[in-house]
Amino acid sequence: MKIALINGSPKVKNSASAFILTSVKSLLPADSEFKEFKFNGTILNEIDLEKIADTDVLIFAFPLYVDGIPSHLLHCLDQMETYFNMMETKKIRVCVLVNCGFYEGHQGSIALGMMKNWCSKAKLEWGQGIGIGGGGMLASFKSPLESQGPMKNLWDAIKVMTDNVSNPHEMDNIYTVPNYPRFLYALGGNMGWKKQIKENGLNRKA
Amino acid sequence: MRLLIHDLSEEQINVVLPERKDVMKIVSDDGSTHQCNGCFGCWVKTPGVCGIKDKYQNMGELFSESEEIIIISKWFYGGFSPFVKNIMDRSISYVLPYFVKRNGEMHHKQRYDHKIEMKVWFYGDHITDEERLTADTLLQANAINLACNGSEVNYVQSITEIKLI
Repeated sequence: MKIALINGSPKVKNSASAFILTSVKSLLPADSEFKEFKFNGTILNEIDLEKIADTDVLIFAFPLYVDGIPSHLLHCLDQMETYFNMMETKKIRVCVLVNCGFYEGHQGSIALGMMKNWCSKAKLEWGQGIGIGGGGMLASFKSPLESQGPMKNLWDAIKVMTDNVSNPHEMDNIYTVPNYPRFLYALGGNMGWKKQIKENGLNRKA
Repeated sequence: MRLLIHDLSEEQINVVLPERKDVMKIVSDDGSTHQCNGCFGCWVKTPGVCGIKDKYQNMGELFSESEEIIIISKWFYGGFSPFVKNIMDRSISYVLPYFVKRNGEMHHKQRYDHKIEMKVWFYGDHITDEERLTADTLLQANAINLACNGSEVNYVQSITEIKLI
């Protein structure tokens, strides 16, 4: 099976999306042929479009921006839609992981809806989406996701998605929250922001 | 102040707003905009101001000066077009990075003691029911995240149907 792993973060390095896709890859069948892409600009080249069209599954990971898809990725999706509508491509399944900085993964449901709408326009098959809550801490993880620990729920969701990667049917979206209380996530997040602001020599109330 | 954000060409905006362009501040696409790069500098390095030095770096402040924000956007999968979405992405300095609980879920704390009315005009052909549902939900979520007084969504096929004044 040919699988494209598409990182839709605008960050050049250390993105949570890269971390998520590493975890996804580790749970997919090892004999898959992986093609990895980084969409951090607004223009896709013809060679990448050809490579993407020659796959069975597209798996996107990107951050939630203002309740939706980051704007640079919208440019890429637009080009892919045009390309797929021009070419006679086989059925390609699309799975999406949207990484939300808030605690509740369901806040990513609108972006997943947009990706599903995009699939209809681009003549692709919607597979499944995961709305990831508490994604703010993922980029700081030093080791891969585990079946236990603070992001256990995300690991479980990715396991369901990867187990069904060759399933021809549409699956229900999964929304995760961190495996600990919201007030602790908020407390840790707010302390993290204050620390960064202070390190830049600014008043933490900025 | 009324703020108009749109993705129309100069010719098209002259159809929508043929006169009295002075009644509102207008943010349009002149091709010079840069994409948000996810650095969070507008929160932790230069609070309230985007670190990308182009004419769109003060969007958060512009939001804080606007009682009404009008958006005209081409229809894109149930959301905004890439240009309009980029303006939204580069406006996050309107809020603070800190988390608060609002409407039973996590959102960002307001930077300004200010409320916005948001009015959106989506234009384009072939709007499906699913896309319309996505867009309705998007605007409800945007209104909560930006602490708006209210929001209104309109769907038109042709830009000639848009009524701004």
